[in-house]
Amino acid sequence: MMLPDLGSLLGFSTEKIEKGDFILLSDRNADASFLINHFLSLYLRAGCKVCFLGLVQSFSHYSAVALRLGVNLVQAREQGQLVFLEGLKDSVGQLLQQGPDSEAYPMGFLRGSQTDLRSLFRFVQRSVGGAGEWSPSILLVDDLSVLLSLGVSVEAILDFSHYCRTTVCHQLQGNMVMLVRVGEDEDDEEGPELLLKALTHQCSLALSIQGLPTGYCRDIHGQVEVRWKERGPGAAGPGGALAQKKLLQYKVHDKGVSFFARGTSSAVL
Amino acid sequence: MLLDVIQGTENGGFVIIQDTVECCGRQLLQSCIAAALHREEDVHVLAFEVCEEDVRLRLDRKCEQRLCVHNGYTDPLGWSEHPLFTVHQFISEELNVHLSGSEESKPATLVIDSLSWILRHHPPAVVCQRLQELRRGGALRRVVALLHCDLHQQGIVGSLCHLATAVISVVPGDRGQQAVAKTTRRTKSGKVTHEEEYFSVKEDLTVTVESRPSHHGRPQTEEDEREVDPAANLTFNLRLSEGEKEAKEKLSLPFVFSAEKKSALLQPRPGSGRIVYDPDASDDFDPEDPDDDLAV
Repeated sequence: MMLPDLGSLLGFSTEKIEKGDFILLSDRNADASFLINHFLSLYLRAGCKVCFLGLVQSFSHYSAVALRLGVNLVQAREQGQLVFLEGLKDSVGQLLQQGPDSEAYPMGFLRGSQTDLRSLFRFVQRSVGGAGEWSPSILLVDDLSVLLSLGVSVEAILDFSHYCRTTVCHQLQGNMVMLVRVGEDEDDEEGPELLLKALTHQCSLALSIQGLPTGYCRDIHGQVEVRWKERGPGAAGPGGALAQKKLLQYKVHDKGVSFFARGTSSAVL
Repeated sequence: MLLDVIQGTENGGFVIIQDTVECCGRQLLQSCIAAALHREEDVHVLAFEVCEEDVRLRLDRKCEQRLCVHNGYTDPLGWSEHPLFTVHQFISEELNVHLSGSEESKPATLVIDSLSWILRHHPPAVVCQRLQELRRGGALRRVVALLHCDLHQQGIVGSLCHLATAVISVVPGDRGQQAVAKTTRRTKSGKVTHEEEYFSVKEDLTVTVESRPSHHGRPQTEEDEREVDPAANLTFNLRLSEGEKEAKEKLSLPFVFSAEKKSALLQPRPGSGRIVYDPDASDDFDPEDPDDDLAV
């Protein structure tokens, strides 16, 4: 199974999906998409109903990666377990499409007068609801910062994520995983930073992927900061106002990732 | 001071609890709710960021009927057909109707979770005005609001904090697990007091102040000052004894020009030199300016 280390670290497994979790993934000078693939395969294997907003890559890309991890996305989609929104195709279709009716399409915010992401939320609501044999409901977003590039304001994205949280995490007691990418030049872009901070206030678990501060290394690809809020192993009871943090290093392999404490890479020891 | 603010001993207060990503202030907010309920006050909560279940979760069941949660969590913008409470209602007069829902119009405590949510949808000036109106309206005993100060510009946070009678900033402490509350309180007379305290919130939402960071204990430094005597351990005497005084007066100092010294200097002594000056005929000696030949 992929990422046995991270699974045990976070207390996640296919048998035990925490209810109502909002997991925030972020990356800075590194690529956190391996985590998205991990969570996608984890939830599909656990028999959850998954709604996946793939705004960055095509379906065939995710499908190829998932196949390596032992999950068949095409099959899952046909069985109705997975609802996939292919942002790349849909946005082009939306821009080229004729006719005034933009409300009904998930990517309708690209044209027309609406400035909020209500249509996208409606799509999520339709997809995660009525799960039938699959439960609980899961929403995955890869990634939210693309919406910023598409001209959506930070406020609108935060409203969208709020509604998704109330629906998925609260009403349906499912999980929500969102990825935010922060650029290298921090002064240049306030949007992603603000988005990340605001979402960190809401989330129950934050995983932030960073490059090594000392630069590129062949055997260690980066470090991940895990930050729990409220619950989680080692939390200082209900009185802990401070988030619990842990810093680990990782290396991405062909079919998985290994995590280790700082300085204990096999290349070092 | 943190405990005084949470207990809310004064009327008409406006308390802001500031937090950042690093350190969450929601537990202190919950403690304020619990404390107000224990004082047998009505509490209205405008919940945008937490659901009603979470607000009620750790509160005393006995006090539940005095707690009124306005659910702005499930549909804060009115995207569904029947929103329970929207963020737009914060500005309108409707809020007063919501707040005066309880018949025996006893002044209530209003808790806002959080102001950041409201600030995302209303201009700061409008929010400030509205808060002032609410406080002056008389229907409220106290307003307690949570503010994520790292999400807003400093000026906006500043102007909101100017309205507040007390601001509690929750920051991570230096040592490990504990959080520090920096409390700034403004009394009606205009006096501003500031204090930093390590605190923890227990399971039943009571707040305990553990200690103060050492560099902020004012009375301690005063004691320190009293202990230290600047005249102790000196390498010299500050006062003279009688004998020492006499000896000092007897001594003639080298630069004092006494009569003996003058006569001693004027007496020609053997071996001392003499200057003989014989002017030449060509010497143009001017007795009024003997140094004429020097180019001064």
